[in-house]
Amino acid sequence: MSKPAIPTTSERDLLVFAIWAVLGFAGLCFLLEGFSRDAYLVSLAGIAAIVAGFAAHIVINAIFATGFRPGEAALGIGTFGVIALAFIGGWATGGLSMSDYWSGLTLFAVLALGMPIYLSTRYGLRGAFSRFHIRPADSDTAP
Amino acid sequence: MTSVAFSIWLPLFVLFYVAVMLYWARVAATEGSGSDGFFSAGHALAPWISALVIAGCGMAGWFVLGGTRQIAEHGFQMPSLLIGGIAIALPGIVFFKRLWFVAERLRVSSQADIFRLYFHSPFLVVVSTIVAILFAVGFAGLQVRALSQLAEALTGGAVPQLLASVVFGFMLFAGAGIGGMRAIGYFGVIQTVLAFTAIAVLAGCVLFYSGGFAALNADLLKLAASPDTAPLFSVSGVIHFTSGLGRGGDPATANTALANLSLALALMGFQASPLALKLVLSTRSPNGIAAGQTWVAAGFFGALVAFAIALIGAAGLVDKGLVLDALFERLQNGSPWFAAWIFIGVLASVQLLAGLALFVAAEGLVRHLYRPYFNSRLSKRASVTLTRIAIAVLAVLAMLMQNLTPVTLSALAALALPFAFQLWTPLLGVAWVGWFTRPAVVTGVGFGIAGVILTEPLGYEILSFFGLELPWGRWPWTIHSALWGMAANMTATLIVSAITNRKALGAEAQEVRKLFLGPLASSTKARGLRATAWSVTLVWFFLAAGPGLVFGNYAFVATDGDTQTWLLGMPSMWAWALAGWVSGLGLIWFLGYRMEMASPVHVVIPPYREPLRLRKDESQSERQRVTILVITGIVGFVLAVLIAFSFGG
Repeated sequence: MSKPAIPTTSERDLLVFAIWAVLGFAGLCFLLEGFSRDAYLVSLAGIAAIVAGFAAHIVINAIFATGFRPGEAALGIGTFGVIALAFIGGWATGGLSMSDYWSGLTLFAVLALGMPIYLSTRYGLRGAFSRFHIRPADSDTAP
Repeated sequence: MTSVAFSIWLPLFVLFYVAVMLYWARVAATEGSGSDGFFSAGHALAPWISALVIAGCGMAGWFVLGGTRQIAEHGFQMPSLLIGGIAIALPGIVFFKRLWFVAERLRVSSQADIFRLYFHSPFLVVVSTIVAILFAVGFAGLQVRALSQLAEALTGGAVPQLLASVVFGFMLFAGAGIGGMRAIGYFGVIQTVLAFTAIAVLAGCVLFYSGGFAALNADLLKLAASPDTAPLFSVSGVIHFTSGLGRGGDPATANTALANLSLALALMGFQASPLALKLVLSTRSPNGIAAGQTWVAAGFFGALVAFAIALIGAAGLVDKGLVLDALFERLQNGSPWFAAWIFIGVLASVQLLAGLALFVAAEGLVRHLYRPYFNSRLSKRASVTLTRIAIAVLAVLAMLMQNLTPVTLSALAALALPFAFQLWTPLLGVAWVGWFTRPAVVTGVGFGIAGVILTEPLGYEILSFFGLELPWGRWPWTIHSALWGMAANMTATLIVSAITNRKALGAEAQEVRKLFLGPLASSTKARGLRATAWSVTLVWFFLAAGPGLVFGNYAFVATDGDTQTWLLGMPSMWAWALAGWVSGLGLIWFLGYRMEMASPVHVVIPPYREPLRLRKDESQSERQRVTILVITGIVGFVLAVLIAFSFGG
C-alpha cells in the first residue's frame, strides 16, 4: 500500500473552494438581501463576508507559500467587472435607491482599497509599488 | 422582483454546484491512476479531509430532513436525537484507529475485505455489502425523495419531483462514478462545509422569524403549560410493555427512555457501517482520527445538532409555518437566494452520503462478491468499469423506487442503521475482543439481522404476505429494532464463543492479534484507567441516553403553585440534552486521547506477506457457484409463491 503524499495544490484548492462556498455565497446572499430590502447594514454584512473570504484566501495562500493563481485572478477581475457594469447600468437607468447606491460604492471602495493592501502585505510597500512601476533600465534590457 | 427572477436562483445555484462537482471529479480522475486510485484514493486522502468528510456524511442530511421533523412533531420526547453528534462519534473512537492499522497490516481498504481476511466469512462480506446497498437505495434514497419534493415546491412545480430525482441521480453517478473514492473525498470537503453552513444559516433564519431565542422559548413555555401539549417536553417513563406500533402501541407514549437509548444505539450504527470505514481506510494516516471524531464530529457537528437542529425543530413545534417545508417556502418568497443557498447545503449533505453509499455498495457487489466468488479472472480495469456500471444501475434503481415505491423505500431505509449496528460484534471481534470466534460472530450477526427484521415493518409485512401474523408490531416494548437485534446478536455471539474453539484463528487473524499485543498495545497509564473509562461511559449512557433521562423532565424546572418556569430559559429536557452533549464531548475526548483509543501513533506497520501458494484454476468452482445461485434463486422463488398462495392473505 503506497502512500503518496497528496498534491498540495489539491488541498489548497479544496480549502479555497470551501471558503468561497461559505463566505462567497454568504456575501452574495447578504448583498442581494440588502439591495432587495434597501438595507445598507445588511449589504454591509455581505461586504464583510466577501472581505473575510479574501482574507481567508490570502491566509491559505500564505500557508501554502503561493499567490493567487491566474485563473483565480481572472475570475476575480471578471466578477468585479460584471458587478461594476451592473452597478453602472442600474445607476444609469435610475434603478438604484440611495441605500443601493451607497452599498455599491462601499463594495467598490473596499475592493479597490483591498488590492494595494493585499500587495503591500505580500510584497511590502516598496515591492508592491514595484509591481506596477517599470524602470526605464528594465525596459531597455527587454528584448 | 418577478416570480421568474425569484425562481431562477435555485437552478442557478444547482448549476454552479454541478459545475464545481464535475471540476473535482475531473481533478480526481486525472490524479487517480489504476484501480487502487479509483477504489481507495490511493490510500492518500489527507487526515483533515477524512475527518471533515466523515463528520459531514455522518447523517447531517438526515438530521435536517428527519430530525427537525421529529422535534416539530414530537417535541423534546426524544432527547437522544440531540446528542446525536456524540452517538455518531463514539464508534469512530472505538474502532477507527485499530481498524486502520488492521487494514494497513493486511493491505486492504474496506470493511468487507477485513471480514473476508480476518473471519474468512463470505456471510459477513454479504452483510457488509447489503448494509451499503440499504444505505444507498433506502436510507439516502428516502432523503433524495424528500429533497426532490422540496425542489418541486420551491420552483412552484416548474421542476417536477420526477425530474428533480432524475437530475439528482445523474449528479450522484457523475460524482462517484467518474472520480471514484478520490472525488468523493475531495468534493466531500466542499459538501460538508456547505451542509454545516446551511444548518447554521437555517437556524439563524428560524431565530429571525421566531423573534429571537427568548421569544421562541416563551412560546415553548406556553405549550408546556397546556395539559394537551405538556407531554411534548418530557420522556414518558422508562419503558412501556406495549406490543409495538401498529399492534396497539400508542405513538404518543412510545418515546420512553429505552426508546431513546435504543435510538442512540441505532445512530451508533452509522460509523460501524462500511461507508464510514471506506473513508477511514482511504486515509494516508490515522493521526487525524482523534481530532476528527472529538472536535469535528462530536464537537462541531454535535453542537450543530444540539443547538441548530433543535432550534429549527422547536420553531416548527410552536409554529407550523416554520416546519421545514413551510420554512423553505417562506424563505423562497422573501429571500430566494438564501433559500437556494440553504437548499444547496442540504442537497450537498444528502448527496455526500448517497454518493459514498452508492460507491461502497457498487464496490461491494463487484469487488467483494462478483470478482472473488464468481469471476476471479476479472481484471482491475474491468472491475472499475463494472463498478461504474453498478453505480449507475443502483442510482437508477434508487430513482425508480423514490418515485414508484416510496413505502418499500421507507421500509428499506428503516433497516439501514439497525443492520449496520449489528456489525458491531464482528468489528469488536477484530479490534478488541479477540476471543469472539468466527462461528460466534456469524451466528450473532445472523440472529441480530433476524431480530431487526422481525421488529421492523418490512419483516412483519413479509411474514404477513406469507400468512404469518406476528403478535407484535414495530419496536415492541418501545425498544428500537437496533437494540432488539443487538440483544439477540450479543447473546448468540457470547454463547457460541463460549462453546467454540477460541484459539482457532486464521493466519491473518493471528497477525492482527500480534499487532495489538505489540506495537499498538495500550500504555500502562491507559490500562490503569480502564475501570474509570467503563464507569464513566456507563454513567454517561445512563444519564444522557438511558433511563436517567427521566431526571431531565424536572431537572431545570421550578414550580410555584400552578406556574412553571424554566430555570435556564429553555425546556428542561433540551437543557438536559445540552448537558449530555457537553459531558459526551468530554467522554469522547477521554476515550480518544487519555484511553489512547484514537490518539495519534507513529509506528510503521510492515505489510503482511501471505505464504506463497500455487494459484488454482477457480473457473470450475465459479461456474458451480453460479449454477447453485441460480437454482437456489429459482427454488426460493417457487417456495415463496407456493407459501404465499397456500397461506397468504
